[in-house]
Amino acid sequence: RIQCRCLSVKMSVGFIGAGQLAHALVKGFAAAGVIATHRITASSPDTDLPTVIGLRKMGAYFTTSNKETVNKSDVLFLAVKPHIIPFVLDEIGPDIEDRHLIVSCAAGVTISSIEKKLLHYRPAPKVIRCMTNTPVVVREGATVYATGTHAEVEDGKLLEQLMASVGYCTEVEEDLIDAVTGLSGSGPAYAFLAVDALADGGVKMGLPRRLAVRLGAQALLGAAKMLLESEQHPGQLKDNVASPGGATIHALHVMESGGFRSLLINAVEASCIRTRELQHLADQEKISPAAIKKTTLDKVLQQPGVTAAGVGVRTGLNLFNSSTSKHKKN
Amino acid sequence: MSVGFIGAGQLAHALVKGFMAAGMIATHRITASSPDTDLPTVIGLRKMGAYFTTSNKETANKSDVLFLAVKPHIIPFVLDEIGPDIEDRHLIVSCAAGVTISSIEKKLLQYRPAPKVIRCMTNTPVVVREGATVYATGTHAEVEDGKLLEQLMASVGYCTEVEEDLIDAVTGLSGSGPAYAFLAVDALADGGVKMGLPRRLAVRLGAQALLGAAKMLLESEQHPGQLKDNVASPGGATIHALHVMESGGFRSLLINAVEASCIRTRELQHLADQEKISPAAIKKTTLDKVLQQPGGTTAGVGVRTGLNLFNSSTSKHKKN
Repeated sequence: RIQCRCLSVKMSVGFIGAGQLAHALVKGFAAAGVIATHRITASSPDTDLPTVIGLRKMGAYFTTSNKETVNKSDVLFLAVKPHIIPFVLDEIGPDIEDRHLIVSCAAGVTISSIEKKLLHYRPAPKVIRCMTNTPVVVREGATVYATGTHAEVEDGKLLEQLMASVGYCTEVEEDLIDAVTGLSGSGPAYAFLAVDALADGGVKMGLPRRLAVRLGAQALLGAAKMLLESEQHPGQLKDNVASPGGATIHALHVMESGGFRSLLINAVEASCIRTRELQHLADQEKISPAAIKKTTLDKVLQQPGVTAAGVGVRTGLNLFNSSTSKHKKN
Repeated sequence: MSVGFIGAGQLAHALVKGFMAAGMIATHRITASSPDTDLPTVIGLRKMGAYFTTSNKETANKSDVLFLAVKPHIIPFVLDEIGPDIEDRHLIVSCAAGVTISSIEKKLLQYRPAPKVIRCMTNTPVVVREGATVYATGTHAEVEDGKLLEQLMASVGYCTEVEEDLIDAVTGLSGSGPAYAFLAVDALADGGVKMGLPRRLAVRLGAQALLGAAKMLLESEQHPGQLKDNVASPGGATIHALHVMESGGFRSLLINAVEASCIRTRELQHLADQEKISPAAIKKTTLDKVLQQPGGTTAGVGVRTGLNLFNSSTSKHKKN
């Protein structure tokens, strides 16, 4: 008998990290009504992030204690920067239970590196690796995921149910995820650049700025929707709108002359390559002291249940010095 | 209210599809015409239930709102053809790039004292109800006529009134804009495929990323640059990608594109401002089909367009 782990009304979702990604996902989930915001917890040692205000406004519970987030959640999103992942895993490792589904959204961080860390604490940690993007905030995200060794098919389906409420979601082989990062992970930034430039073009030719931005964004949106709803090749759709001797084919020529296509291939490639580099950094089991602020470390150590020994030994940080010794015990 | 399309190509097809999906108008109230019955879009129009005819005059007679959905250089020809059939009720909406209200009014004033003309620039995503449309109202069209058009076009996307002298720039931006996006998704997908993704997934993700980003922009008060900053985390993959784009002058290429399209639109305007159509711009078989339509006379069409229709091959079509 297959047990259905569909998102139940009693399920809680937590976010380690309370930055752009956590904020966007919470906003999207709330708009989709897929989970009640009082069942969402987010944490970060940094309370100054502008996104923290937004999270609270939406009704999510914010705490400075990552451990508290773990304790309150069933599905746990790791929404921190890749180099922080090892640190966070050591911090929350002791609190992971059998029910937890760990979903890492960190670019380049492999399932095996996460499982390796968590195996210090549990025999069968359930891990899913995911790559999404910020348009989840308007429920038009693009998400892919790969399921780890100990996560079941139902765990994947559960994540898919969550992420499909905020956009497109599909399972992929893990070794495609870095390429997806380069394409749809970074893709929105390419689009923001493009609309800014298109608007500049419109303004140069006489349009007011607001109208130019509006028309540029609308044109991209409409074209993307046509593509998604059509079986036709993008080249065919382009042909259909480039009438003989018309304005559009003149514009296309100048774009081709400048190597427009090549720049976008370069962009996807550069983002993907950098993602793989980040993977190598994250694969190191220890975090460099240079990568974390003393004040942040201090805040983490002040959290209930966190010990300098627990965090320090595995991360390799030298926590036993004069300035932190007074925080050894809480 | 009935809607007619002079021209049965990509634009007419896209608008009809969009209007019908929006439930704006019943199909039996839509007519489209073209002398060319071989267009692939003609099949599509018929399938959607629109009435197709080879007679532009028939379309004019059956319609209240009359869209001119033909190429710019064909406009003078079409205006001379249907001019005698325009009545007071007609609202003429020209979608032709670069064709000015004054040039259309000048032609139609030969037939009626107060022709109601609106100039409009839209784009093909009207077909999925996410078009971008601007319009300017002519001398004899009322505010209500503009509102009527706006109601129609708003059912298939964004629509706003603008000063006529902005329309060429809009053509360069959102008129041609979808083509820039199709090019971009094709290239993004190439990038994805280069880095190991299957093609279908790469196209899907590329289009989805553009759609999501565009929607974020439209729903946000924030500057595109701010939204870009928000997604470019320190030392991350995205800022590395943005650098290579900037290094290659990505922004400049898009400014160039909008400019090139706008400039070409203005050139097309000068061509259309000529009151006569060059014989080189129309196929003899097409001319023949037009002349075969009920009510079409070589004198009527030929005198004003300047086409020499009185030669041995067409003389037998002088009267219908």
